[in-house]
Amino acid sequence: MNHDPFQWGRPSNETYGAYNHQIANAGVPDNTTHASLDAFPKMHTQQPIITGTSVIASKFNNGIIMAADNVGSYGSLLRFSNIERLIKVGSETVVGLSGDVSDMQQIERILDELETSEEVYDNDGGDYLRAANVHEYLSRVMYNRRSKMNPLWNSIIVGGFYRDRTPFLKYVDLVGVTYSSSTIATGFGSHLAIPLLRNLIPEDKDYVKVDEQQITKVVEDSMRVLFYRDARSGDKYSQVIIKLDEEGKVVFEFTKEVKVENQSWRFAKDIRGYGSSQQ
Amino acid sequence: MFLTRSEYDRGVSTFSPEGRLFQVEYSLEAIKLGSTAIGISTSQGVILGVEKRVTSSLLEASSIEKIIEIDHHIGCAMSGLTADARSMIDHARVSSLTHNLYYDEDIRVESLTQSVCDLALRFGEGAEGEKRLMSRPFGVALLIAGVDKHKGPQLYHAEPSGTFYRYDAKAIGSGSEGAQAELNNEYHKSLTLEEAELLALKILKQVMEEKLDCKNAQLASVTAEGGFQIYSEEKTDAIIKTLNEQATDEDTVIS
Amino acid sequence: MQTTVASEYSNEIHSVPIEHRFNPYSDNGGTVLGIAGEDFAVLAGDTRQVEGYSIQSRYEPKIFDVGDNIVMTANGFAADGVALIDKFRQQLKWYKFDNFGGKLEIKSAARYIQHLLYGKRFFPYYVSTLIAGLDEEGKGAVYSYDPVGSYEREQCRAGGAAASLIMPFLDNQVNFKNQFIPGTDGKEKKPLKYLTLEEVIELVRDAFSSATERHIYVGDGLEIKIVTKDGVRTEYYPLKRD
Repeated sequence: MNHDPFQWGRPSNETYGAYNHQIANAGVPDNTTHASLDAFPKMHTQQPIITGTSVIASKFNNGIIMAADNVGSYGSLLRFSNIERLIKVGSETVVGLSGDVSDMQQIERILDELETSEEVYDNDGGDYLRAANVHEYLSRVMYNRRSKMNPLWNSIIVGGFYRDRTPFLKYVDLVGVTYSSSTIATGFGSHLAIPLLRNLIPEDKDYVKVDEQQITKVVEDSMRVLFYRDARSGDKYSQVIIKLDEEGKVVFEFTKEVKVENQSWRFAKDIRGYGSSQQ
Repeated sequence: MFLTRSEYDRGVSTFSPEGRLFQVEYSLEAIKLGSTAIGISTSQGVILGVEKRVTSSLLEASSIEKIIEIDHHIGCAMSGLTADARSMIDHARVSSLTHNLYYDEDIRVESLTQSVCDLALRFGEGAEGEKRLMSRPFGVALLIAGVDKHKGPQLYHAEPSGTFYRYDAKAIGSGSEGAQAELNNEYHKSLTLEEAELLALKILKQVMEEKLDCKNAQLASVTAEGGFQIYSEEKTDAIIKTLNEQATDEDTVIS
Repeated sequence: MQTTVASEYSNEIHSVPIEHRFNPYSDNGGTVLGIAGEDFAVLAGDTRQVEGYSIQSRYEPKIFDVGDNIVMTANGFAADGVALIDKFRQQLKWYKFDNFGGKLEIKSAARYIQHLLYGKRFFPYYVSTLIAGLDEEGKGAVYSYDPVGSYEREQCRAGGAAASLIMPFLDNQVNFKNQFIPGTDGKEKKPLKYLTLEEVIELVRDAFSSATERHIYVGDGLEIKIVTKDGVRTEYYPLKRD
């Protein structure tokens, strides 16, 4: 197989003859020059390249928890294993991103700028950037980009606190759709993690009955299930807990390199019909 | 007196050290040269009355248009450089029509007046990059009369300076000083529309140089029921007759 | 021309590029309904938001009190719905500035929304829009729209995922379609009459619990906003969550 990134995954020339590039570039004549290519219309992101998989998040009685693994996939290739997808914004907000990693990095820069410009007001004891502000801002960025048919290819979860210190958790994605819920997950997480999280928090208001220990356990389980069943996931993840201490002050706990523990692959031996030719 | 101003009356948007915009002040002078126009607001409706200067017996009086419809519920009278009023009225008509298109309702008289006044300051560049539309301020003032369901019959005076005020009764133009004094004397809240018609003509008669007739004066009314209407020559003539009869009655009483 | 694999497509000449275009829309389910009474109007909607077969949120309200005794909803693609309502609220503020704080009548709001929608005729807001309130005489009013701004005042209208399930029910129960006076052999129609607020709430609840049974995009909760001369009031009823 040819491992040149531009040829990767294509049938070998020896066996099948050279790949017909006209298939993908139909309409561009054979005699296209470099200059005429410059005149080619500006292209927008039409598909994600390096991607991060699920982000999962939940409220609990005095804060929020969020987790995302560190893998950056190039299609089915595990390309990077050190991607950080949870970003701290301001003093009490975390933003978790899944989807295209380069677009995620642009969002990081946008948020950096936002933080810098809003810091001015923070210094003189005024109001500061809260989760709701960050989410509103991001949702406008996402919706405006989709309206220009040039989306940022991500699903985003924003967690933090409302002004009244109740937990804040809200979602926005590449088309600008937003919603809030006590449990949110993107990508495969919405299929695999949400059932586990909603088992603990059946109704939105029930998050107040769940403590940090309980939710951390379920997040741990969720990350394990995701590692089992989502082929684009990894066994190393980052976790953020934002909570209030006894004095009502915000504590921001950022834990990196958490390992998916207590794995059991005993079920694997019972799988028939795929991969293994032993049977 | 103009000599002292000479440094500061060139640029239209240059303040003098005393804080005055001379070009705008001069434009107000231009209105004082114009023919007299009167507006009287009553609870039943608003009356507009204008003097037309028929400078030649060969001039077709009906071609002098000093009262014009803006929409079915708003009309205006003008004094000064009446040609300048064309663009204001165009703008007013567009505003009114657009409001009706967007909101399926009649524009308020006050909003309409505001939109005309927005235009008055476009002899300079706007704060938000709006283009300079005119080389000088308007040389015309408008009396805008209208009815709406919110405030009933209303009369506004819009100046080239872009300010506007609401009046019960207002006179502009060359005879405005005398006319306004007379309005101050004669106006009262319980005036009927008919009394307002007579009052407008009576005052015009006093301030006009020529003898008042249905050719050199024009009336219009705006009422909730009838909207804006310019009076026909016959109707104006009839009112002038009544006016003259009243005058003779008073003369007889006095003598 | 070099070809890749021997296949029936190998000699096909492509005259247009193979396109994988970004789809700027999604369907977030949910259903809404508005009914006008004699001196009141209601707008109701379920609180479920979906994406494909996943329930994103069980409580994401989509009926909004936009001010001046008007309630509004835009159901379909959630991001467009939110954008439309935000835009309307913003324009309402401008109306107040331009009209010396005057009240925006519902017929004027209705006309204005037509222009908001038609202004994006060639990249439409993918929503069914409804507004409800009281008209200048104090009578209940509901206006409904298609995605590009065609609008109409009606006594009732259902929109969104289960519109086709609810609308015939409303035709029958609000406008008495296909109802006849007993004993007239289907000759004499049942005369129209205004429903009371209590009757309307019962209709709305029945409509939504039935739609919840039959439509997977409908459920979780029912939020109703009721407009009377005294203002806007909200009621909430749980729906099945399956």
